[in-house]
Amino acid sequence: MTVLARRRSSWAARSRQERLGLRLLLPVLVTVVVVTTIPFVLAVVRALTSDAGQFIGLDNFTKALENGQLIEAVKQTAIYGAIVLPAEILLGLGLALLVHREVRSPGIRAAIYVAAIIPIVIPQIAVGVVFRLVFASDYGVINAALGLQGHDQILWLSQPALAMVSVASVDIWQWTPFVYLIMFAGFQTVPSESVEAAQVDGATSWTQFRHIELPYLRPLLLLVLFFRLADVLRVFDAVYVLTGGGPGATTQFLSLYLYRIAFRFSDLGQASALAVVVMIAMTLFYTVISRFLPVERA
Amino acid sequence: MPRLLKRIITVVVLGAALVAFVFPLYYLVATSLKGQAELYAAVPTLIPQAPTLDSYHSVLVDRGMSELLFNSTVAGVSATVLALIIAFAICYPITRLPVSRRVSAFVLNWSLSLRFLPPIAVVVPYYTIERALGLYNQLPALIIVYTIFNLPLSIWMLKGFLQEIPLELEEAAMVDGASRLRAFLRVLLPLTRTGVLAAGVVVFAFDWAEFLFAFILTATPQSMTFPVGVQGLVTQFEIIWNDMAAGGVIAIAVPLALMLVARRYVVAGLTFGVIRDK
Amino acid sequence: MKSQTWFASWLTLFVPILLVVTACSSGSTPSSGGGTPAGGTPAAGTPGGGTPASNVKLTIAAVQGVEDAGLKALAPMYTAKTGVQIVITESPYPDLYTKLVNAFGSNDATYDLFMMDDPWMPKFGTMGALSDLGAMGVTKDPDVAQIVWDVGTWPPPHGPVPPSEKAKTAQLLGVTIVGNVEMFMYRKDLTPTGPASYDEVLANATAQNKPNLAGYIIRGKATNPVVADFLPILWSFGGDVFDDNWNVVFDNPASLSAVQFLVDKLKPVAQADPASTDASDRDRLMAIGQGYQSSTWPGEINTAVLGPGTTVTGKVAFQPIPKGPSGKGVGMMGNWMLGIPKASKNQQAAADFIKWMLQADTQKTYAQNNGIPSRTSVLKDASLQAANPYFSVLADAFAAPPNWRPRTDQWNAVETIMGTELNAALAGQETSQDVVTKASSQIRTLMKGAGYPTTQ
Repeated sequence: MTVLARRRSSWAARSRQERLGLRLLLPVLVTVVVVTTIPFVLAVVRALTSDAGQFIGLDNFTKALENGQLIEAVKQTAIYGAIVLPAEILLGLGLALLVHREVRSPGIRAAIYVAAIIPIVIPQIAVGVVFRLVFASDYGVINAALGLQGHDQILWLSQPALAMVSVASVDIWQWTPFVYLIMFAGFQTVPSESVEAAQVDGATSWTQFRHIELPYLRPLLLLVLFFRLADVLRVFDAVYVLTGGGPGATTQFLSLYLYRIAFRFSDLGQASALAVVVMIAMTLFYTVISRFLPVERA
Repeated sequence: MPRLLKRIITVVVLGAALVAFVFPLYYLVATSLKGQAELYAAVPTLIPQAPTLDSYHSVLVDRGMSELLFNSTVAGVSATVLALIIAFAICYPITRLPVSRRVSAFVLNWSLSLRFLPPIAVVVPYYTIERALGLYNQLPALIIVYTIFNLPLSIWMLKGFLQEIPLELEEAAMVDGASRLRAFLRVLLPLTRTGVLAAGVVVFAFDWAEFLFAFILTATPQSMTFPVGVQGLVTQFEIIWNDMAAGGVIAIAVPLALMLVARRYVVAGLTFGVIRDK
Repeated sequence: MKSQTWFASWLTLFVPILLVVTACSSGSTPSSGGGTPAGGTPAAGTPGGGTPASNVKLTIAAVQGVEDAGLKALAPMYTAKTGVQIVITESPYPDLYTKLVNAFGSNDATYDLFMMDDPWMPKFGTMGALSDLGAMGVTKDPDVAQIVWDVGTWPPPHGPVPPSEKAKTAQLLGVTIVGNVEMFMYRKDLTPTGPASYDEVLANATAQNKPNLAGYIIRGKATNPVVADFLPILWSFGGDVFDDNWNVVFDNPASLSAVQFLVDKLKPVAQADPASTDASDRDRLMAIGQGYQSSTWPGEINTAVLGPGTTVTGKVAFQPIPKGPSGKGVGMMGNWMLGIPKASKNQQAAADFIKWMLQADTQKTYAQNNGIPSRTSVLKDASLQAANPYFSVLADAFAAPPNWRPRTDQWNAVETIMGTELNAALAGQETSQDVVTKASSQIRTLMKGAGYPTTQ
């Protein structure tokens, strides 16, 4: 019946439907696109003018790009992403696979769900506070558990290399469960016929994962990677509470750097120029990686 | 034998992961139950020595933050509903009508690219706009911003649910003489209820925890949200980690409860429909 | 079918839209919005019973923490006396600054009064956002030290003035409500007398330093905290950030020796982790008996150092900042002031509140309610010394007089630059020489970009 219905619909009818679709879609879409574009336009205008409102050309952009600390911030953000993303994806995927294969009890699965939800819904500020209580050198739980006192203390948040790892571990703590939940949901949807067929063919656990589940989950994995990548560029609150960007500028990531220029230096011209640069860079970046995203299948 | 070994490894790995993930939460709760004097202990205590609910009282009553909870609720619920309505208006045509692929790919791409904007980059322009509109320090300012920033997630989750519902159901209704609107209201909407619930819960949780916009766009308790209040507890001199922890626990409670209620649907919604139609 | 049930569930989703509408309308009627009820009276939202004559409501932007404790105590008394409603809105220290800059930049009328830390005065003064309190009848009472009036005056009556401000006539834009000069504290049970000079600070620190007792506690967290801890040392060593013509002198020999004193000499006899220590961490170390000496602000003494969990009651003494090689000890002011934004629609009512708050009797009540006064007669009041062992020292510190942070609207940026470099040195990332070289070059670029004349 449906096949018949599809066949019956002529090209004209389809195009009428398509016109209806566009009529429904366009007003909403145009409104939303405009509303989201205004800030960008405002930022461009602000970046091209002085505090007094005069047009000053690209001065703010040169100022923003010449600042050596920008490179430093980009570099530290890249290091942070390079630690956090693989760790979260591998851990999340691994745990999802483990639970999917080995845990049958609905009760335990539910308990894991609860444990995984909490880090996602906890406010960033609270994350910052609790991890300060965990990492602090003299009243922190880790050093206390290790029995370290005085100058034996490990300076989790002030030793530069460690500070990066500590801050990254907070991100991993908070977002691995997110990856886990999505990948676990994904495993649930792998068609059982193909899995059973593979098992009949004598596939090992690994080949089953490698050749059936992984290809099947690939689009989802990419989407998750994308979401997390976007979040790395937004990381702010927890780091702000935890280290304030220190020691030195070790954890002064891109968004903390923007905050510093906009609200500590009160240099709105330079901050707007930076924001414009970031937005353009991200758009380009997005254009490149979106080719790998599963959007075409909508 | 390998079966047993596997079980042991599973238990050990999962156990270790659970401890690592649950401990900070435990410590948050434990800290919220400590009295002020206990925070001064030379070696931090893992278990509150004299558990007390004082800090909860302090946060909700003495510091008047229950009002902020109300603001958070209003902003979160309103923005969630708005985001879902707009997401519906966008997802319906691209999943139910033969809109060209170029258009639907544009919508999905564009909505995802929104997520790439660091909020800190647009918070100043938004501040300017809200001031110009006279919305500064008003909840509607937050509602608008939250709606926009959670559209990507709403669109992707709804799209996943909608494309899963066979077109034939509506078509059948229309063949039976129902108008498109009626088919939408009578056939499609009831079927999407669970999907909407799941998307709503997830989106609400993100709205609820948002800090930066709430911090910049509000000024007084009239419109401040709860996370801004919790941040306010980070004072220069005072040692009130118990109050901060209590604030954190309260902030978790609401979205957690919702996530538990909507558990099954949330899990289903998390695949965003990207792997279903293979 | 089950159409009623799904319709009902959709209806519940749309109810929130009504909430939005309610929120919008309640937002525009100020009475129902509420606010943190001053002084912990939850019923503050309802009109005061006794005096319904006035329906003025003053909104005060305050800093979160002990600094506004006295203000919160006074507010309900003023309401009871005059019927003027007072709503106190608190923000954490750095956030308050951000909020105020935003509000003033857009001429926002949300606040009628606000608390400002004295280094913020140049920014707000330059913005021209504040009302002249002198014109509204606030007079300079001689019972308050001259320096306290000067710090609220813009442009500053002495020291370098920013080029853009030279043409302005001096106006009183802020009055001090939290007397605040950085002081020095030490454990008098361990040494009977405190250090007279920074040489003695170092000698005592070296003698006292042992496991679980830091010879000196450095407040070294990045940006504002480490700079607040360091400036008295810099000045006492004869160094400075700028000279009288805004030339950067942070890399001269005196300034370098001050950085070396902090990073190379004090750090080895300080606590293990200076780079992430903020004021509350320092106070905790002092309170649990793990610190011998440190600098301190009046605001942290009663609530944190001698707070509810302290083990050092009666064992801590307070004194002015020790002398450096320059021969003087220079304390730093951090007065919290009250000012009135030009945008406020309740100018005179706000000024009346300020005048009332500065009266001698109000100041004494204020001191009895955890406020830190600035009137010499109140600070020296014998009946207040037991509860506030540092009051008398504070009066002396005001008379000294103390220094203020450079009066430029770029101070926040300067402080951020210095604070980042000093913090990096305390974390072992760079040397003292790096600190002065890197910070000076960044500050020069900054000041040049901001239009300051520089001969360098």
